[in-house]
Amino acid sequence: MARHRPRSGRSQPSPRRVKAALCVTCLIDQFFPHVGEAAVKVLRRLDVDVSFPEQQTCCGQIAFNGGYRAEATAVARRFLDIFAGDDYVVVPSGSCASMIKVFYAELFQGDEATLERVRQLVARTYEFTEFLTEVLEVDDVGAKFSGSVTYHDGCHALRELRIKQGPRALVAAVEGAELREMEASEACCGFGGLFSVKFPEVSGAILDEKLRHVEATGARAVVTTDCGCVMHMAGAMRRRALDTRALHIAELLAGEGG
Amino acid sequence: MTTQPEASPAKEAFLQRIRQALGRAEPATSPPDHPPLKTNLVRQEEKLRTIRAKVEARRERNAERLAENATKVGWHVHRVETHDEAAAAVAAIAAGLHARNVVRTAEDCFRQADYDGPLRRARAAPIILASGRNRSRDSLKATAFDADLGVTGVSWAIAETASCVIVPRRGVARLASLAPPVYVAIVGIEQILETLDDYFATVRLEHMKGRGHVAAYANFISGPSRTADIEQTLTVGVHGPGVVHMLIVGRE
Amino acid sequence: MAAKAAAFKRSSAVAVRNPKLQQTLHHVVRHFTEARDAAVASEFPPETWEQMRERASSIKLQTLLNLDFYLDMVDRNVRRNGGHVHFAADAAEANRIVLDIAKRNAVKRVIKSKSMVSEEMRLNPTLEAEGIVPVETDLGEYIIQLAKETPFHIIAPAMHKTRQDVSRLFQDWLRSAPTDDIKTLCAIARNALRQQFATADMGVSGANFVVAETGTVVLVTNEGNGRMTTSVPRVHVALAGMERVIPAIEDVALFLRLLPRSATGQRITSYNSFISGPRRASDEDGPEEFHLVLVDNGRLNLLKDERLREALKCIRCGACLNVCPVYQKTGGHAYGWVYPGPIGAIVTPAMNGFARGADLPFASTLCGACKDVCPVKIDIPKLLLDLRPEAARRTGTWAERLLMRRWVDMMRARESLERSSRLARLMQRPLSREGVIRRSRLPLLAAWTQARDFPAVAEKSFARRWRDGLSRAEP
Repeated sequence: MARHRPRSGRSQPSPRRVKAALCVTCLIDQFFPHVGEAAVKVLRRLDVDVSFPEQQTCCGQIAFNGGYRAEATAVARRFLDIFAGDDYVVVPSGSCASMIKVFYAELFQGDEATLERVRQLVARTYEFTEFLTEVLEVDDVGAKFSGSVTYHDGCHALRELRIKQGPRALVAAVEGAELREMEASEACCGFGGLFSVKFPEVSGAILDEKLRHVEATGARAVVTTDCGCVMHMAGAMRRRALDTRALHIAELLAGEGG
Repeated sequence: MTTQPEASPAKEAFLQRIRQALGRAEPATSPPDHPPLKTNLVRQEEKLRTIRAKVEARRERNAERLAENATKVGWHVHRVETHDEAAAAVAAIAAGLHARNVVRTAEDCFRQADYDGPLRRARAAPIILASGRNRSRDSLKATAFDADLGVTGVSWAIAETASCVIVPRRGVARLASLAPPVYVAIVGIEQILETLDDYFATVRLEHMKGRGHVAAYANFISGPSRTADIEQTLTVGVHGPGVVHMLIVGRE
Repeated sequence: MAAKAAAFKRSSAVAVRNPKLQQTLHHVVRHFTEARDAAVASEFPPETWEQMRERASSIKLQTLLNLDFYLDMVDRNVRRNGGHVHFAADAAEANRIVLDIAKRNAVKRVIKSKSMVSEEMRLNPTLEAEGIVPVETDLGEYIIQLAKETPFHIIAPAMHKTRQDVSRLFQDWLRSAPTDDIKTLCAIARNALRQQFATADMGVSGANFVVAETGTVVLVTNEGNGRMTTSVPRVHVALAGMERVIPAIEDVALFLRLLPRSATGQRITSYNSFISGPRRASDEDGPEEFHLVLVDNGRLNLLKDERLREALKCIRCGACLNVCPVYQKTGGHAYGWVYPGPIGAIVTPAMNGFARGADLPFASTLCGACKDVCPVKIDIPKLLLDLRPEAARRTGTWAERLLMRRWVDMMRARESLERSSRLARLMQRPLSREGVIRRSRLPLLAAWTQARDFPAVAEKSFARRWRDGLSRAEP
């Protein structure tokens, strides 16, 4: 049973609107701004008071994963300052949300004062779909789409944040969208950040297999929680002139038809 | 048995490096807290009484479970009422193979009935595999490698894993259950344990009662010798027996 | 040296382009992962399996934290059982110990059952150099030995060989008739190895577990060669990494439930041998001498690191290899040493002080599939991340370092990020068409665009769009 978005007239226990600061991620900010816009649209449709701390840049994951800890630490500290406060922090990326919720504790090991700030941040930080299904407790966000959709489990969303059913429920509740599971939806797409450029041959081979599974479903679009995976899959789909599209789940959920 | 002399100073240096790596200068003064190492003899005996009572109460169920699990992993399971029937079954297996060289161990089950008679009548008189008085180590090996059927009893069987537990000792050569291409294990229903835990609790009690002495060798046989090393294709009988029979003797 | 230290890049690219290898890998890893999943899921509710992993993890970690105590216990108990214990700091010392034993016993032929430690030591060439013939008896290892290769997978060493490959090897080495029948090939190997078992003077095995309480070496095998190796020759030498210890005999049950299910999807393997010293005087057969060689060989590098020591919990089941998207495409040889896959990407550089496999910590997408299947709950991605700073110092390219330095400057303030993206927009103009870059010679971008288009930097960043009105828009 889909849980519907709050509608006007429905009595709410608290008159205050839910406030959320959007962490838009560097990838969305620079390469996929329309995904950020889509996320804002969905949140506003659900009556969330969205803010965007304008000084934000990046969570530091690229440097952390690359083995550049000092660089990562500098950027992560900045992140802690920018997202201080009491509002929810909503991140349209399982990977960046994992960086904050799981790996900041690694990065600041032994620095108790900072770790305390990290814990406060972690407690109110949510990956975008997780925020919709766990905090707002909504599956049906009032989106429309026409055609079948397959869902790719982004690795960090799945295995660091244990997000699996939420996004599927969201997709299934989109009017006109049919969710078709692909084989090995939990298999990595081969992106892995720096991995994709350090070992492009292996990364490409992993991606090939993923795309075979996507194509086998005959779905119009593959959706996922992360623009890293989107960029990776869409990059190869374009190169091969495939009909299938790779979309961030926020794009699907913002859709009003077509 | 004689304890081998204290090992070389290499040991002390080795352990000292480990202590340093762990950030300790001295050997630990008290043993680490690991509950399975702390149970005393009284408690272990108590544990075994419970296990024995459980096993006794569930004999038939465990025999069924053993038979079912064993069949799944490739044992040919035969359930018989008595050792006489078991002896007949062994002879029938030998006859079916046209076996000429049969080896067996010398252990309790073979005293429960005349196993050799039916085998002799099937023209498969067994040789008792033993290095004893007039057989050298090499001749035992040669006899075992030439055999086309090996028959042994077991010390225990474990229903959970379809395992026959062989504990080599006087009368029970290791090779009897290993070298021949076809193998028969004779399991008394009273020898069936339910789980791996039951077995290891038993071993521990024996170890405690024997003041630290333990059998040189024990072996679980849980199906035919198998390999999937060529193209992941399951093939049986690569080094050990490829055909294995389990005779479960007795019914409750 | 540098080439050896960071060789994965090249070797993995070669592997990916080998269609035969790709086909085998696809088939094999699927076989293993399906078998494992079935074996775990069909018998245990997820919570039970989780509790078992948790317990095994905790036992292994506690044992490592008291390793000096438990190794001393192993030593005393093996000696009480009438065996000898040797402590080897490195491969050279371990080889010396084995050679000494062999020479004292005038050994000419050694039969071996699978031992990864012997691969680390390169024991076979060492024996051969002294005129002693080592014969691998695990079928997969035997094939590999005839082919003069190294194992491809922890538990399926010859998985990359087809039946035709094996037939050709047997024709060359054993003068057997060509055949496509796997059963016949196994029979050929059985007969050839029977001769070896009958005539070898010494058996060398590995050790899956060493039980401190009873001084028992536990072997987990399927073929029966482990039993042959430890029963037939006059001398048995067991080689064990020093971390193989588990404290109590009653702990074995748990590990025997975890290992075969994780490795091959079996409830139990066909054989489990429990070796506590040489044959007793009253026994009918068995070796007269038993030696246990406990080997460090770089494990201390892991043990001394509070976090990396977690990798020493590994029970070598190979489950992390099978689920790894990278291993699934590269296979084992690309990793360049004895231990491939995610666990190999940790232990290879760590055990070898980064003289080998320095780029392996990067050979992972950090997808985390490995940590979910690990029966002792090693957080493999986290350990890879821990190794990356050192790996980056050793293998990072100038382009990468420059990029990182630029990146941190760029991310230090919104304004610098915007300046950089303005510059990028200018620079990408000649490169991009319809919002993507199809080819580039710039470092990193060139790698990306080998098989994928790269998105152009957006004309207007999200932050810009926010300032330009999105912040005020109402639903």
